[in-house]
Amino acid sequence: MEKYINEIISPKLQGDGGWIEYVSFENGELTLIFRGECSKCLILHRCIDWIESEIKKNLKKEVKIKAIRKKPYFQDV
Amino acid sequence: MAHIKVVRRSMRPEEWTDLRFGWLKRHIYNEKWEIKNLQIRDARQTDEMKFEYYSADYRPLKQGDMYFTPDGTAFIKADVDIPDNLKGKELWFSLKTAAEICVKVNGKYIGGVDPNRERMLLSPYVNTNETLHFDMMGYNRSKPDDERNPESLSVRGCRQIFEGAYICTVNHAVQRLVYDFELLLDIAKSELFNEDYRAFLNKELNNAMNFINFESDELAGVDEAKKYIEDVIFANDTYKGCGDVALVAHSHLDIAYYWRRIHSVQKNLRTVLIQLRLMDRYPDFKYTHTQPYTYETLEKYYPDVFEELKVKVANGQFEPVGAMYVEPDCNVPNAESLIRQCLYGQKTYERMFGKRVNNAWLPDVFGNSWVLPQILKKSGVEYFVSNKMSTWNDTNRFPHNNFIWRGIDGSEVYACVPPTHFITWNMPSQIQENWEAYIDKDSGGQTLNMFGYGDGGSGCTEEMIEMMNRFDKLAVMPKCTHTGGAEFLEKNLKNNKNLEVWDGELYLEMHRGTFTTKSYIKRANRRLEEKFRMAEMLCVLKNENKTAEITELYKKFLINQFHDILPGSHIHPVYEDAMRDYSEIEQALDKIIGTGTKYFNSLNFKRNALTFVENKNGTATRYGKKGNWIVPDIPALSGKNLRKTAYNGNWFDFDDNNLETEYYKVKFNPDGSMASLYDKELSREWTNGEFNKLKIFVDCPGNYDAWDILPNYREKEIKVKIASPLTLVESDSESLTLGVTLVTEKSTWEMLIRFFRRSRGIEVESNVDWNEKHKLAKVEFNCNVLTRKALCDTSAGFIERETHRNTTWQQARFETCHHKWCDLSESGGGVALINDGKYGVGLLDNSMSLSLLRATERPDVTSDIGKHSFLYMIVPHKNDAVSADINRLALQYNTPLIKADCEWSLPTFEPLYLQAIKKSEDGKMTVIRLCEQDGTRGTIKLPSKVKLLNMLEDIEGETDIIEFKPFEIITIGI
Repeated sequence: MEKYINEIISPKLQGDGGWIEYVSFENGELTLIFRGECSKCLILHRCIDWIESEIKKNLKKEVKIKAIRKKPYFQDV
Repeated sequence: MAHIKVVRRSMRPEEWTDLRFGWLKRHIYNEKWEIKNLQIRDARQTDEMKFEYYSADYRPLKQGDMYFTPDGTAFIKADVDIPDNLKGKELWFSLKTAAEICVKVNGKYIGGVDPNRERMLLSPYVNTNETLHFDMMGYNRSKPDDERNPESLSVRGCRQIFEGAYICTVNHAVQRLVYDFELLLDIAKSELFNEDYRAFLNKELNNAMNFINFESDELAGVDEAKKYIEDVIFANDTYKGCGDVALVAHSHLDIAYYWRRIHSVQKNLRTVLIQLRLMDRYPDFKYTHTQPYTYETLEKYYPDVFEELKVKVANGQFEPVGAMYVEPDCNVPNAESLIRQCLYGQKTYERMFGKRVNNAWLPDVFGNSWVLPQILKKSGVEYFVSNKMSTWNDTNRFPHNNFIWRGIDGSEVYACVPPTHFITWNMPSQIQENWEAYIDKDSGGQTLNMFGYGDGGSGCTEEMIEMMNRFDKLAVMPKCTHTGGAEFLEKNLKNNKNLEVWDGELYLEMHRGTFTTKSYIKRANRRLEEKFRMAEMLCVLKNENKTAEITELYKKFLINQFHDILPGSHIHPVYEDAMRDYSEIEQALDKIIGTGTKYFNSLNFKRNALTFVENKNGTATRYGKKGNWIVPDIPALSGKNLRKTAYNGNWFDFDDNNLETEYYKVKFNPDGSMASLYDKELSREWTNGEFNKLKIFVDCPGNYDAWDILPNYREKEIKVKIASPLTLVESDSESLTLGVTLVTEKSTWEMLIRFFRRSRGIEVESNVDWNEKHKLAKVEFNCNVLTRKALCDTSAGFIERETHRNTTWQQARFETCHHKWCDLSESGGGVALINDGKYGVGLLDNSMSLSLLRATERPDVTSDIGKHSFLYMIVPHKNDAVSADINRLALQYNTPLIKADCEWSLPTFEPLYLQAIKKSEDGKMTVIRLCEQDGTRGTIKLPSKVKLLNMLEDIEGETDIIEFKPFEIITIGI
């Protein structure tokens, strides 16, 4: 799961100025930190749904993502 | 607890007008027929024109579906048979989206839709009796603060909700009225216009709206409302405006920024395509487009559209502007790089369109080096345009908009720093703002107002042109003239005797962090600039024709000097692309440079500075490699075998943080900074305060993270502890190295300080494991020197910068850009600081603080995290920097000795510096570029005549005596 997040999902989010970090995967709950533009995205839930569906499609696993937004200290614009 | 302020009051008349304006806009389309058989295939772009797909085939796309994926490209298609009731009518395609979509129908690119426009005209380009094969390619556009159009907020982001695609007919009567209201409401809401006129507008717009019966199905009264506006509002000339504004259509296209360079190919296609279609509809519409590189991508990947573009260039509607290959950063690249930007840019335009341009068009660059006017002038460029100093300066108002810019050597170009932003949407309030901000009303002629959406391209819209076509009807507006870029410059600046002169660099009082952010990129740029010089020189000397290969490598290198790549203001994938490019370029250059049996001095003066020569059996270490410190003593442009000098004497004494060498008595602090640096030869102390002191500051610019350093950055300093105190690490007959390891909570900083038996230089190597966030590392030198100015290398001469803070102009320049060296001197001596890839420096009173590393988070959360190694050399010296040969020392420091077997048969051209030697682009000459960098004047007698060239390699004369003046760059052909 960690490899999948780092190698498959992460580069895609980076392409939009986002950033994702794997934290843990326990009992079907995948905890991820969202940084960069993801940290303040108004529609992050849509992206999370997409990641869950990609995991289901590619890893054949049902996961529930717990998203932690880590906002840096700069002006939200 | 959330608190919502509730305001209870009746609707004001102007709000009633706004409300009805919203209703009116719902009637723009007469008929909307939904395309229901759309299919989509999600993909991600991996390279130019290369995609990896999420699925083997297309899937249906319906209203309400999610579409697009992070960093995704979507291919959407449908075969559409136009319903009979729409055939024969003027048809439009409509798709409301936050993505950037290029639309092809039956194999031909028809237009584009994006967040700034939801519809495009179909009729003249398709046969509605045929089945229309729609092929769309859309790039997800998610940069959050680049969203100019609030109406697209609901659909933006990497996962968007599809709202349907339609074939439509437009109710032009309604549309025309909407444009009238758009225009007039903008004035009514703008405090820049006369208060009484705005009250008049509010009253009369309400009256006009009263003609419309929104209850009627056919929306009766539209024509009457339009007539009322014509007769009452447009006919009113009681309120007269003033001003003379040139409206130039332009779209700013960042080649890489919040997107990778590979995406700019389609961003450019979409931008160009949309402008071409506007030109079809509006024959008077002219548009300016920069960056020959973008034209090359269009020519390569979309030749049909490029052929259309050529037609529009020929008829004057589409105007190539900007002599430079891309819009580069104009602080960090050296003079030769900036020359190549012009050379390859102009050659590209010349090949494509049979003509060069006479302007540099750099709206968004972060300040401009003082070396530019000379380079532009000698590259066929008379006019310079750059916006940021007027709108982004954080301290001083730049005092000119239309003026003459005098360069470091005295060359002059006409310059325009437009009063307002380069991205506007041509609204009356923006034009009025431009006129009011325009400083040179009495001397500069018209003011330049650019309009068109940009950053990621997009350009002008139908709405902007429709606005423009109404300006003449409004007496309250400044006089507005739609014009081309060159036309504006020639009309207003050429031979204008009233223009004032700005003699100095065009320093931007903002984005001061970009001299330092992304240390690796800066260092690679410096290293490769030198390798290009070496590779081209050796090709000439070995008579190898590799011009085509080197040109391609140079172009790739120049692209990476784009003003959001080299400055470090980009997302992480852009950084990875740049480093990959640098690696490929370096490997290719190393191959061209090759090797030989003798060490070759590529400098055109005797190489006499102590130099590290790698040797696996050497007794010294530098950058982790073994070697020896040798005084090469190689004549200019010659080869020689080198041997380590034998010396068995004891040349230094180090004990208890006290060091004595041939030149110095040094008292160190345990952290490697120097409490005293006493010069035995010159009998003077060089320190006056902290010297070679590493300082790490909290660096939170709050907004433009990668770009800015705030003036108060020194307020909060983090503790740097000593992990292992200063010790003697290594010594041999020529050098000694003292080492200290410093730590913060997250980072480790090894500082290796080298002294030499035969050099006054003191080299400091830093090996850093950097894991900070929002920090700025600097090394400070408080010198025992009384001066009010510092000298800074520009790469083609030095600039004097005041070190006091008497006025706001000096206060604003608390961080400046320099190249290989900076220096604080009084007449008897001073201290120079030479670096191998650092550009930011703070100069205050008697101190220099060299910026070493930053740790910004936006746009790249990992910016500069990781391991770094870099060098700087402290050179206390007698007399001033020029007399102390600091230029020569810095050039030697940045030019590694390489092995090559070749002969130089030409003069050495001393005392000028040999900046470049290359085969001419046409292969007929050897081109030699010489640069005066010491601020002197003189002549060089040559044994035979040479051609005098400009920087585009045109022959301009012939001579056997080169006359040169301070900071002049001279190009000759042999």
